[in-house]
Parts: sequence; structure tokens; C-alpha cells
Amino acid sequence: MRRVYAVLAGLLLLAVIAQFYFAAVGAFDKPQEDGSFSLHSLTGMMVIPVLSLLATIAAAVAKAPGRLIGMTILPLGLVIVQVLIIVLGDALNDSADNTTTGSLVILGLHALNGLAIMGVSGMVFRQARLLAASTTPAPGTAARVA
Amino acid sequence: MTVETLLVLDLLAGVVATAGWLGAGATAAAHRSLVALPLAALALAATLARCALTIPLAGAGWWFVQEKLSLTLPLALIGALTGAVLAVPRLLAATRRRTAASADASGGSGAPGGPGDAAEAPGLTDSRAPARVVVPLFGAGYAAAAGPVVSLLIGYPMTPGAALITVALTAAAILATWRMVAGRLPLARVTVATAVAVGLAGTGLAFVPADAIDTGGGPASAHSSGATMPEMSPSAISGAPSHAMPGMPSGTVTSASSHTAPDQPVTAFRGPSTPEPGGTIRRYALTARTATVRLASGRQVEAWTFNGTVPGPPITATQGDLVEVKLHNADIASGVTLHWHGYDVPAGEDGVPGLTQEAVMPGQEFTYRFRALQAGTYWYHTHEVSDLGVRMGLYGTLVVSPRPASGGTPAETTGTGTGETSGTRARNAVDLTLPAHTFAGTTALGDQDRPFTRQVAPGSPVRLRLVNTDNTPRGFALSGAAFRVASIDGRDLNRPGELNRTRLRLPAGGRYDLVFPMPPGQAVLLVDDRPALTLTPGGPAPAAPAEKTAAWPEFDPLSYGGPAPTPFGADDRFDRRFTMVLDRGLAFSNGSPMYAHTVNGRAFPSIPTQLVRKGDLVHMTVVNRGRDTHPWHLHGHTVLVLSRDGREPSGSPLWMDTFDVQPGQVWEVAFRADNPGIWMNHCHNLSHADMGMALHLDYDGVTTPFHGAHGG
Repeated sequence: MRRVYAVLAGLLLLAVIAQFYFAAVGAFDKPQEDGSFSLHSLTGMMVIPVLSLLATIAAAVAKAPGRLIGMTILPLGLVIVQVLIIVLGDALNDSADNTTTGSLVILGLHALNGLAIMGVSGMVFRQARLLAASTTPAPGTAARVA
Repeated sequence: MTVETLLVLDLLAGVVATAGWLGAGATAAAHRSLVALPLAALALAATLARCALTIPLAGAGWWFVQEKLSLTLPLALIGALTGAVLAVPRLLAATRRRTAASADASGGSGAPGGPGDAAEAPGLTDSRAPARVVVPLFGAGYAAAAGPVVSLLIGYPMTPGAALITVALTAAAILATWRMVAGRLPLARVTVATAVAVGLAGTGLAFVPADAIDTGGGPASAHSSGATMPEMSPSAISGAPSHAMPGMPSGTVTSASSHTAPDQPVTAFRGPSTPEPGGTIRRYALTARTATVRLASGRQVEAWTFNGTVPGPPITATQGDLVEVKLHNADIASGVTLHWHGYDVPAGEDGVPGLTQEAVMPGQEFTYRFRALQAGTYWYHTHEVSDLGVRMGLYGTLVVSPRPASGGTPAETTGTGTGETSGTRARNAVDLTLPAHTFAGTTALGDQDRPFTRQVAPGSPVRLRLVNTDNTPRGFALSGAAFRVASIDGRDLNRPGELNRTRLRLPAGGRYDLVFPMPPGQAVLLVDDRPALTLTPGGPAPAAPAEKTAAWPEFDPLSYGGPAPTPFGADDRFDRRFTMVLDRGLAFSNGSPMYAHTVNGRAFPSIPTQLVRKGDLVHMTVVNRGRDTHPWHLHGHTVLVLSRDGREPSGSPLWMDTFDVQPGQVWEVAFRADNPGIWMNHCHNLSHADMGMALHLDYDGVTTPFHGAHGG
């Protein structure tokens, strides 16, 4: 199960890396329109949350430390923050839906929070690999054996 | 506070509450009760804020709070209550002990009491204590998370199925946390089985297909086949065999009841082939083809064009004329049609592929005929892959001049970019048709993608016909001249007043006609605060410094002009009432799951078809629960605005074909069902229509011989 967890954590990290790539694809697409970010929103709204959820379940089943389980679900929580940043930013747009200084200040946080998701996913993957590589049985298993 | 602000704050409060509870749980698990306590307090405050925000939201309409009042708020409150009652007293006790212990330590030996050491251990070393503190806190977090998650992913309406799934997921998360923290579950089998059963029941309910038809409270179809569209089959979800085979005739069975007329195919509703007495035939030939178009600045644009130009040739007529347009497709691979936006043509001329005709494929042609009965400013565009097609340039303007009182000369057209219709009223009148369109980030008027100038003699009557062919609203402003908005969406307003320094927010697909006498100085038309057209009274004059128009007050058509009687109104008895709640959510659109633009929680083609009968007076409520503006457009009918956010228009009656439903707004409109056919009813931000925000409005007994699955 630890190996499954490590694989899922790896997939999660890959999805987050792809997400940055799709963000650039959307940003440079011309003409710029809603569909420009379709890959980005699909990955963000479905792939990353599902992988984060699956990895968390795998971590729980693999009896990973509670801290690590919490960190594995964190990308999902931060994705909700990503959506919230867009929602808050758009709310500050002017009446013709054009951005204002205020809305851009908020919207820029989308990139910083994205970096946070990347950092957390990277950390989760590293620790999941360490967990999979460790030869000592998990505390839970040890207890059961004893 | 606007409804939009309230909705955003509610989301924010939901996320803060979730983060607060989960953070409190995590810090409590790490024996940091001093941090956990303020986090729990923050979460509690955010939960109460959500309750407070819900009250004014409920006042704006049940649609805005349905999922909150029926599920997510009670869930969050139960979680918060449990967290507060079970966890907070223990956290407080642990904090007190810890403070006492550190006081003892410093008062006793004077040795530095290490922070976060074993001082609080007595409270949490009890083997059951962590579970009793940590699990309620995490549980409150999961329960709080349901609020923003359900609002963002499901929206309106919250179905029993979705509610059960939400409860089951929350319960599953709590049980998993419990097992992790305590190492075992009390009554493990029973609780897990219950959660699984609830989840399965919810999943089952979620897959119950919706009704294919919305009768709006009116009588159901009198026809055996009804107006049931083949694509309305829930087969995509339920696995029932699909009968939506392209080309298969559907609904051609004649009703058994003797008093109903037999079904008529939509193709039976075609325009006449003669003009009204005194009118002429206006013949146009449009060839759709790809071309590299050179805009006025010299910039080259790869475009899809009619006759090699963008916009396509302006089509003009005088009231009573017959417009005959032969459409030929040279090389637009996806196909092309002509839809007469805002013009209430017979259904068979409406140009919706798969519904009123087949898309015109390369090498094919189709001839449209309709009488120009309504004067005013309209436009035409393709309806096949319309989002891409219109953006690429398959559009043009349609301007119908009022019939001159006696013996006037018909209007002439010149130029290919911005249509100039020489007036029939005064010899020196200036009549400019200005379709705004954004080419790769630059908004052009006609083919003028940089500021341009027209010379106009002072005192000349000027009419600027503004058309927004984009997917999003455009902000227009006129500096240097006072003006009147003579008509909206082609329909004249009653007693329009003079406006000055006012910004006009033109919805996607909408039209405003501005009229004013040419002032002695320059007048500048600005689009999104950038000068686009300068009208100058004489030779080359130094351009007037551009004014900052962004801060000008915005024109509100609902309080403009003077009241006038209307053929029906809000107090009439309506035969049918339809409600469309617009939002975003996870839904199947055209067979694939996506974060779709939804109507009543569903995306095309799963949105029930609205059924009307000829002669019905129909009431429509359009609610925007989402965060995007939705320019709503019903084909084949002009709707009368009854109210926006509960406020009736105080000025001129407003007849529109495209009205902007902004986030948090509620529009009530009405129309007389007097144009039998099968009609699209959709968001004219065409990318939204593409992502599910489209449905059909069918007249009872009208069928389509085509595949019937057009969604945008």
C-alpha cells in the first residue's frame, strides 16, 4: 500500500507540474477566451482533487503518520483557495468585467498559491517515497504483529 | 451589499471556517492547544458569519440559498456545535493546566519552563482524549468544507442524491479520521455500513434522469410524440438505448386525439417568396470561405469570412422588403448557417443546424427568405460551432430602415467595413453601423482596428448603430456630444431622454442606436475607454485629449425614457412560467463530464426542453447564481422586461432579444408565443453555450426532421 501511496503522490506531483504548463498554454493562447484555460480548469477542478483524495486514502490505509496524511489532502484544500482567489478577484472587477488594480492584486495570488501547491505536492512525494523505501514496518503493523 | 458580494463572502467564510477547524484539529493533535483555541474561535466566528450572510441572500431569492438552508448550513452548524461542545472545553482545560504548570515551574525552581513541553500532557495523555478533541475538530472542518465545495461544484438545485452523497462523504472522512486517531472505531461495521449505504443511495438517486420536458405549469403535450426531442433521451446516463440517430425522423406520429392538429416539421415554417405590397426583393449572395483579411491598420488576420470580408457584407432592407440570401459554403469544413440575431423570422429560416436545417457543408448552399417587417439594427452570424465561427469572423449586420412615408428612395449601402446607410430622413444624415468585434485582443469597429475619423457637418443628424458581436459586454462612451439611445435591440424606445457623460454597457449580442445632432466640435466614440471613432466637423483637427470614461455613471435601460402601455404586463395571467437558474457545476455536457455552465444544475443536452403552445403568454425568470455574466438570448421572440431584481422598469418599455444577467441578478421577462417552431434558448456568451448553457423551447406539435442535438 505504501508503494501505491508513493505512486499516487508521484502522479499528484506530475499533475501539478502539468497544471503549470497548462496555465502557460492558456496565458499564451490567442485569441484569449474561456476555452483557452479548458485544460487548466479540467486538471485543476478534477484531476488534482481526485489524485489528492486518492493519495490521502492510500496514505490512511498505508498507516502513514497523521501529519503526512493531512499534508496529502492539503493540495485539495489549496485548490479550493485557488478558486476562491479567482472568485474574489473577479468580484473586484468593474461593471464591464474588466480587471481593476484591486482585482489584479488578488488574482496575482493565484500564482503564489500555485507554488504552494507545488511545494506541498513535492514534499508529500518525497516523504511518500521515504515511507515506501523504509524497511521497518509501520507502527500499526508492528502493533498488530505484537 | 450586492447579491454577488454576499455569495463571494459566503464562500470566503466557508473556506475560513474549514481552514480554522482543520487547523485547530491539526494543532490539537500536535498538543498545541494554545494555537488550536484561537483557530477554533475563528472557525466558529466564520460559521456564524455564514448564517448572517444567508439571511439577506434568502431575501434575494430561494435559488441563492437552497443548498445552504437545506444542507450545508445545518451540516456546518452541527459540526461547529459538536466541535465547540466536545473539543473546546477540553482544549480550555488543557490550556489552563498548561498555564498553571508553567506558572508552577517558573515560581518553583526558576528553571526556564520550555514552551510546548509535557506541561499539557495530563489533559491529552488519557488514551481516549485525543480522539475526543481531535475528531470533533476535524469533523467540524469536513462539515464546514461541504459549504464551499457544494456551492462551487453542484450549485442549484441541491438534489436529494447530491445531499446524501455529501453527507456520506463527510461521514466517511470523520470515520477515517477517527480510526487514524483512535486506532479503532466504535461500532465499526454499523457506522461504515451506514455511510456506504447512504452514499450508494445518493449515487443511485443522482442517476435518476430528469424529465425531458418542462411544461412550465401549463398543459403537457397534446401530441403523442409531443415535442420530445430525440437528444433529450437520458440514455447517456441511464444506459437506455439511444434513439438519437442522426437523420432519423422523430416525432412524426400523428396524434390519436382528433381535435389536435397533426405534427408539423419545423421545415414547414418558411418565409414567403414575395415582399409586402410596395416592397422589393433584396437579393444577397454570401459565400463562406476562409481568407486572410487585412484590417485597416494593415494587420493580417486569418479569418472565416462571408465574401472574403470581415464583417460580412452589410445586409440592408426597407420595411416590407423581402430579404433573400443565398448562402454558399466554399471551404468552411465544420459547416455554416445564417442565424438572424434578434430578427423574429419563421422557424425554418432561423439557421440552427440540426434543428431547423442541416449545416451547409463545403460545396452546399441554402437560401433564406424572410420579410423585413421590423425596422432596426440587427445582425447575422453562423450558428454552426458558433463560438469559434463568430470569433473567426462569420458575422455581419442587418439593418432595416423604416418604410418612408411616401416615395422615399430606398437606403443604399457603401463600404464593406462599417455599413453606411444614407438616411431617408435628411439629406445630410449620417448613419453608421458599427459592429464591435475583438480580433486577438484588439476591439475593432467593422474592419477599423485603430482609431478612425469621419467628417460630419455640424448640425447633421447622426445615428450610430452599436452592435456587440463579442462574447462579453463592451463599454461604449461618447464624449463631446449629448445623445439619446433611440433604440435597444432594434426596438425604438419611448421618449428617450438626453444623456451626457454616460457609459453604455452593451451586452454580448445586443445593439444600441445612439442619435444626436453633430456638435460644432469633435465627438469621440470610445470602446472600453479607448478612442475608436472621431467625428469631426471640418478638416484635419488636432485630436481632442481622450477623456477618462471608465468612471462615468453607467446607463441603465430600466430607468430611461417614458412609460408606455404594453400589450401584456406583470399582472397578466401567464399560461406558463419557466425558471432558469444559471450557475457552474460538474455536469455531463455532450457526453463528457466537465465543469460546465449549467441551467438548473444541468448542461446541454440534459436540460429539459421548455414546451409552449401557440398563443401562450409565457413568463421567464432567469437567475444568475454564478460568477460570470450571461447574456440571455431566446431565438424567434422578443421579450418584454418585467423586472430586474424585483424592480420594474420605471421608464420606457424594454423589448430585448439579448439581456445581460449579471452575477446575482434576477430578471423576469415575458413574451407571447406567436412564432411556432423549435427554438434555441441560450447564453450568448457562445463559449458558455458550448460548455452546456443551452436548451430548446418547443411549440407543441412541431418536430424536427434533423438530428435535433444542436447546443451551440
